[in-house]
Amino acid sequence: MIETVQDLRPTYFSAFGVDEKLIREALSAALSRGGEYADLFFQHRVAHNFVLEDGSVNRAFKGTELGVGVRVVKGDQTGYAFTEDLSLESIREAARTAATIAEGLQQEAPARFHLTGGLPSRYATTRRWDDVRPEEKLPLLTGLNDKTFAMNDAIRKVNITFGDEMSAILIADSTGRIAEDVQPMTLLYLSCVAEKNGEREQNTYGVAARRDMSFYSQDRLDLMVKEAVDRTMILFDAVQAPAGEMPVVLGAGASGILLHEAIGHGMEADFNRKGTSIYADKIGKKVAHSFVNVVDEGTEEGARGSINVDDEGNAAGRTNLVEDGVLTTYLHDSISAKHYGVKPTGNGRRESYQYPPLPRMRSTYMLPGPHKKEEIIASVKRGLYCTNFTNGQVQIGAGDFTFYVKNGYLIEDGKLTRPIKDVNIIGNGPKVLEQIDMVADDLTIDQGGWTCGKDGQSVPVSQGIPTVRVASITVGGRSDR
Amino acid sequence: MAIREAVSEEFRAVARDAVKSAKAAGAGGAAARMAKVREVAVQWRDGQVEQVTESTTRGLALSLYVDGRFASVSTSDLRPEAIDPFIMDAVAMTRTLSEDPFRTLPDPSLYDHRPTVDLEFSDPDYGTVTAARRRDLARAIEDAARSVPGADRILSVTTSVSDSRSEMFRVTSNGFEGERIDTSFWLSGSVTVQDEDGRRPEDGDFCGGRFVRDLGDPAEVGRSSAQRALVRLGATKVPSGIMTMVLDRRTGGRLVGALLSPLSASSIQQRRSFLEGRAGEGVGGALLDITDDPLIPKGFGSRHFDGEGISAQRLPLFEAGVLRNYYVDTYYGRKLDMKPTTGTTSNLEWSLGSKSQSELILDAAEGVFVTGFLGGNSNGTTGDYSLGIQGFMIRKGEIAEPVAEMNISGNQLELWKRLVRVGNDPYEFSPLRTPTLVFEEVSFAGV
Repeated sequence: MIETVQDLRPTYFSAFGVDEKLIREALSAALSRGGEYADLFFQHRVAHNFVLEDGSVNRAFKGTELGVGVRVVKGDQTGYAFTEDLSLESIREAARTAATIAEGLQQEAPARFHLTGGLPSRYATTRRWDDVRPEEKLPLLTGLNDKTFAMNDAIRKVNITFGDEMSAILIADSTGRIAEDVQPMTLLYLSCVAEKNGEREQNTYGVAARRDMSFYSQDRLDLMVKEAVDRTMILFDAVQAPAGEMPVVLGAGASGILLHEAIGHGMEADFNRKGTSIYADKIGKKVAHSFVNVVDEGTEEGARGSINVDDEGNAAGRTNLVEDGVLTTYLHDSISAKHYGVKPTGNGRRESYQYPPLPRMRSTYMLPGPHKKEEIIASVKRGLYCTNFTNGQVQIGAGDFTFYVKNGYLIEDGKLTRPIKDVNIIGNGPKVLEQIDMVADDLTIDQGGWTCGKDGQSVPVSQGIPTVRVASITVGGRSDR
Repeated sequence: MAIREAVSEEFRAVARDAVKSAKAAGAGGAAARMAKVREVAVQWRDGQVEQVTESTTRGLALSLYVDGRFASVSTSDLRPEAIDPFIMDAVAMTRTLSEDPFRTLPDPSLYDHRPTVDLEFSDPDYGTVTAARRRDLARAIEDAARSVPGADRILSVTTSVSDSRSEMFRVTSNGFEGERIDTSFWLSGSVTVQDEDGRRPEDGDFCGGRFVRDLGDPAEVGRSSAQRALVRLGATKVPSGIMTMVLDRRTGGRLVGALLSPLSASSIQQRRSFLEGRAGEGVGGALLDITDDPLIPKGFGSRHFDGEGISAQRLPLFEAGVLRNYYVDTYYGRKLDMKPTTGTTSNLEWSLGSKSQSELILDAAEGVFVTGFLGGNSNGTTGDYSLGIQGFMIRKGEIAEPVAEMNISGNQLELWKRLVRVGNDPYEFSPLRTPTLVFEEVSFAGV
């Protein structure tokens, strides 16, 4: 029988001397000043990166992190401390530091703990990454390099990064709950530089997943080479996008970045609890056409944004942000859930043991709608069709957000004409939601290695969308006036 | 010269032992770096403490040179029984890689002539700031924010008071040893205000210093945070067009950073730099005049040696618009056959103009005063950039209505030639120390 990641769970941290007695004593110290709630977050993470440059895999990076964070909560107030030394003495000291957020009498730590059972496994792995030897990984990189150069004579440089990670976590809280998970991650990025007629262009294609080596099928690797080369070579034919307001059609998949920035962040409950989001007080209000449905979920097997359990020990399910055009549910961690009197949604996430959890997205996407991609493109007289993106950002309160388009096309009289490149698009969240007036039936979840940043913490996320039309948004191209 | 604090002998021993273990495991060369960072932060919101965080992190990083092969590893698991197996495993991993003849430790002569000037990194009074003082400061920022005219529009005020102390010791197998202790202290405020159309614009301000006695006035940070948010009320977008851009000193670093990254030898060697082959050429207007200066006392980018151990020295980057030097580290220097300078930016020293920001706005007469960037990107290979902006219209030499939801775009080779004024006001809270900059004929996208 194949030993699965699930089977390894209950014992992972015992190798580091973590047992119920240590957990109980640490929580007792955390509650020593009257905190209402406390939790411990143990983490052991081992990550590798292998880099191919100038034809060979000539550098590797390995990082090991081991530590425990202690959080104490009183009302909306949080005390947080962490240590990298898992001795009881050191954890107790961190716990006493975190405890100072409260000023009251000792609260009791739980007498007994129960392991959260029945968690699903959404990672589809049969081998842990720390059991895979470098010798198995390196041929992936050299093979991709050779194929990329063979694909087109204009290619001058190829850079490939392969990453894998295994993060074991254990969360124990003052309600007596213990949850454990071993979370795998892998990513592969292929970047190339090409030269043509004295010009130079560069582009990248990458994939990421919570999967094992079997993720890298020959078909996937061949697709990577083709996409990386095509996305680079088309830039030589690209023109600058125009400037100003116009209709923008977003291609299925990576365009989900629009949802992440335009609505996802603004629906994180901490901003709403504080009244600092443009979506505060808008639950139950109509914000979009009735065929617009947006969800955030952590359940798709193998997706980069999926998790069996969030970093507060809550099961990750599916949360409806927008249902039939109506704003439905915020994304909660346990603090905001308590504030709003609702159940946590499994969105409490953190970068590592060094940080307290915050409401964060997992995999954010829009459900399919009634239109067809072809009819959407045909409906635009003059506008853009955008396919690839690099980054985005949002102002939570003002609602203004941007996303940077790396590849796309002009649409003229309902047809894709010249390719475009390197243009930032800027809009306002609620206004743009209203402007989404066509949604196709071709939902695609992008497999790129998206990473979301908030309050200095990075977490892996996924995003997706069907082809949609935004009737009007500002395109940051070159102005000729 | 002031007596400097030293890192503990025990701390040094971990790094020296790691180099020894690496050599014993078969590495021909190794560099080890031990670091320990203590950070304390109080976040305050609407009349009470929101979050207190206090922790010390420590870790060991190791670069390994094994049979002509290279890897770099790090760990926070410093249990004595864990370190040696970690190093053995890392050496074994390095052996699986391809040989790389360009990968070596720096030429030890580059470790010579390390400056000894006191850069005033470390406040001996670190540790005297009490939890009560942090709370008082955090409260004072909020109180000041709520005291400005128009404060009834304020929805929420979040403030923070934080400080940190870092210790670092680095040793290599070819003769480098170096250490530093540095401290910093920061105050910040962030204010959200209610606009009539339902928007909730947010802005803020901050200040910091290496010494607690240099920490600015919390009341000034609070007032400025609230004022910066309140002036965003009623922001609109204006028609697209070619206009003069006055770029605020606080936000200019974003554009300057996009000019610096293509200066790295790695970008040049990997053919991802629009500045490749342009040394000695004019790539900007005569006012583009910048030197990398690692030796500014109390500077946030100051250092006696860089991350490889190369002794710090001033490095002219642009002189009257002419590109003079690249950022060259040992590895890419060998690949390109260029002499190493340093691989990373320290502080920038600009040739300053004589005028203040308000004088530059007056001189510009008409244009856009850009006070913040939102997202966007710059393509280091081609120089094309497209960035979201917010700011204010400049009309008749004065700051007029706020604008938002707009973009600028163009190519950096054109942009820096259109740099027509440099202010007298370097921004001291960033190592890039950018003054107010004025560019002509910038393409703005709006309505």
